[in-house]
Amino acid sequence: MKSHSLITRVLVPVALAVAVWYALALVVEAVRGVDFPTPLDTARRLAALLAGDPLGDHSVYRHIGDSLLRWVTGFVIAAVAGIAVGLATGWSETVRGMVAPLLHGLQLIPGLAWIPVALLLFGLGETATIFMIAMASFTPVAISVMDGVNRVDTQYVRAARMLGAGRRALFLCVLLPGALPALITGLRIGLGHGWRVVVAAEMIVGAGTGLGYSIIEARWTLDYPSAFACVAAICVIGLVVERVVFARLEQRTLARWSLARDSS
Amino acid sequence: MIRVQNCRLTYRTPCGHVHTALDHVDLHVDEAEFVCVLGPSGCGKTSLLNLVAGFLKPSAGVVLFDNMSVAGPGPDRGVVFQDPTLFPWLTVRQNVEFGLRNAGCAPDRLAPRATAALAAVGMRAHIHKHPHALSGGMRQRVALARVLVLEPSALLMDEPFSALDANTRERLQDELLRIWDEHRRTVLYVTHSVEEAAYLADRVLIMGPPPESIKDEVALSLPRPRDRASDEFRAAVQLLRGKLDRLPCCVVET
Repeated sequence: MKSHSLITRVLVPVALAVAVWYALALVVEAVRGVDFPTPLDTARRLAALLAGDPLGDHSVYRHIGDSLLRWVTGFVIAAVAGIAVGLATGWSETVRGMVAPLLHGLQLIPGLAWIPVALLLFGLGETATIFMIAMASFTPVAISVMDGVNRVDTQYVRAARMLGAGRRALFLCVLLPGALPALITGLRIGLGHGWRVVVAAEMIVGAGTGLGYSIIEARWTLDYPSAFACVAAICVIGLVVERVVFARLEQRTLARWSLARDSS
Repeated sequence: MIRVQNCRLTYRTPCGHVHTALDHVDLHVDEAEFVCVLGPSGCGKTSLLNLVAGFLKPSAGVVLFDNMSVAGPGPDRGVVFQDPTLFPWLTVRQNVEFGLRNAGCAPDRLAPRATAALAAVGMRAHIHKHPHALSGGMRQRVALARVLVLEPSALLMDEPFSALDANTRERLQDELLRIWDEHRRTVLYVTHSVEEAAYLADRVLIMGPPPESIKDEVALSLPRPRDRASDEFRAAVQLLRGKLDRLPCCVVET
């Protein structure tokens, strides 16, 4: 049963992607007469890079490490700010009335649209990149947490007040744990948004290292297999973090939390 | 003990109509009395309980508890909801400790008091489990323990056993009566089941839809423990059912 689900959930999608990619490469080469890296070319190049071939001026590990560092830095800033704003807006109806429209407005701005703002605020460089990542991750976290706190079942709130809970206990022992599943979902979505923006920001804001920067550099030097290898690395890293790490955490909390009002 | 005087409860529906949930409600529950509110679904029984609990404020009239106007919910009126509403992120014992913490119980007394309260409802063996690992009947036992541990002067119960299977329901009714008999707390118990009211109550208030929410009142003098198979019990059930059948409201569920 378990091996069956592993096959259908991992191997089949991978095989499908590889097949489509191969077909595409063959068609492009035949029709346009340009070298389109096949999955095999890409895998070879990736293996060479992982074995120590330099990519631009640095090793691929340096690029991956720098991208991850930017991602984590931007995400942590966004998570802390997003949780704080989400809790405040979920808790107080007054704050929610004022801030919720702003959050929903921010949500409509694509991560890359922050480029001019980031450049004007911080100039070219590291800070601008991290700013963009943080902006992209912040809104989903804040909105999820706000909705999570806001949607904690009123019966829980009633039960807590009947049991003598003051505002502090109500917040810390009921609303906060009650909103935890939404908080984890928000973090997972924010993490995904952040990762997408890391790559794009590195391409434009001029970081000098990183996977996104490497893709653009490889394109200038017509080293397309390297560009493709970087895309593959980006995809795998994003998948691993979001699916394996976060989805598991999410499932575990949901399994326990959602119990709640089923049996009656 | 509990006194509701000429209460009305209205609310505005989403489409702007004013709906009257309760009107002209007058009732009193004496100290240590077990009173059932019996009525068809949707006639405002839960609203009435929510007024006494302090979750809702009356649109007109007064709700008094111990001669004080009810300002909000509090541990002096322990509520057992239809759904157990245990906190899923806490273990059984932590759920019972929740109210004790709020009451400022000394940390070293928390565990012993919670454990004793759980033992009193037969849940001694399950104190470290989470609510999702319990059956509906067990959850409702824990819900009872978490209010009893606070030694409330009244228990407000909103169809607490209606979602349970018949056997579990009857056993929990017996346990409730045993606990009530030991501590002689005031109980206001809402139900739509004629048998349940006849089995539990000293006095039954028959409730129906507004404009006159409390329709009738029946004092039951049957001695306890009551025998569900006896002729006297059958007669009491028939009497209550007859009164309920005369109401203009919905279907009578038993």
